[in-house]
Amino acid sequence: MMALVTGGSKCGKSSFAESLFDNYNGAKFYVATMLPNDPESLKQIEIHRKNRMGKGFETIEKFTDIDEINVRRCGILLECLGNLLANEIFSGNKINDPVDKIMRGIDKLKSNSDLFVIVSNDVARDGILYDDTTEKYIRYLVDLNSKIAKLSDIFVECVYGIPIIGGKNFENSELAGFGIFDVFANPDAKG
Amino acid sequence: MIFVIGGVFEGKKQFAEKQFSLLDDEILDGEKCDFEAVFSAKCVNNCHNLIKRLINNKIDPIEFTREIILRNSGLILIMDEIGCGIIPIERDDREYRELVGKCGCIIAEKSEAVIRIFCGIPNVIKGEI
Repeated sequence: MMALVTGGSKCGKSSFAESLFDNYNGAKFYVATMLPNDPESLKQIEIHRKNRMGKGFETIEKFTDIDEINVRRCGILLECLGNLLANEIFSGNKINDPVDKIMRGIDKLKSNSDLFVIVSNDVARDGILYDDTTEKYIRYLVDLNSKIAKLSDIFVECVYGIPIIGGKNFENSELAGFGIFDVFANPDAKG
Repeated sequence: MIFVIGGVFEGKKQFAEKQFSLLDDEILDGEKCDFEAVFSAKCVNNCHNLIKRLINNKIDPIEFTREIILRNSGLILIMDEIGCGIIPIERDDREYRELVGKCGCIIAEKSEAVIRIFCGIPNVIKGEI
């Protein structure tokens, strides 16, 4: 099962994504993509670490090349796609097509896991025109989001803490067994 | 509380006026209203601007939001969604954006209904109206 969770800044998407693993009993891996290279990132990383403490995730730090991750029959939470893409583009490595490269990794992680949840960002709706590099980044991320949404059983947009759920299989998704509809039916329960 | 959200120029205020039969003078403008007046108002528009002004005045918007919940639980709040897009370069802009997100989550959690106007169409994403 695969889910894409997206939304704007501080919309509650991380907690929602984590909650999808509440009823998952296998090994759980958290793929952390944020580079710990400045005080603000370090602070964010600390907040995220605290939030998922006690939830049973083993952290794998992988800032680029997620296709090199070798885990099997497990749950994977990848957070987040926006950082991963930025790292791939700005790491200095020469890559032709970052979307292609990331999708190869996504395909591999999908086939190697039972439950795969990807947290991404909504970057395409602020109506601001940016420089070429940023515009390119936005285009890549939108492209990735669309491709992943297509692969996913469900996609979820978090809006001020409220999950809005859609997707091709979401009505009969096995994710129902992972408690997603309890969350959906009662957003209050998750605070 | 009732929470009306959406992008800029989506007709959120018009929707609230019609849906909740509000008169023009019953709607405070977060961009210029008196902070204390929020606690007795019927409706506050542009809550994201209110948050910006609170930050500029060194008042914690999260504490302020919690006070609204305690003192004016019937309030209708209208706020832009501003959290989508590229992370702003300026630290203050990032802080503002994050605080709007956090306050939005708190307001949504405590609201009986949350209505999101998207492409001009109201969607009730929490509760009933």
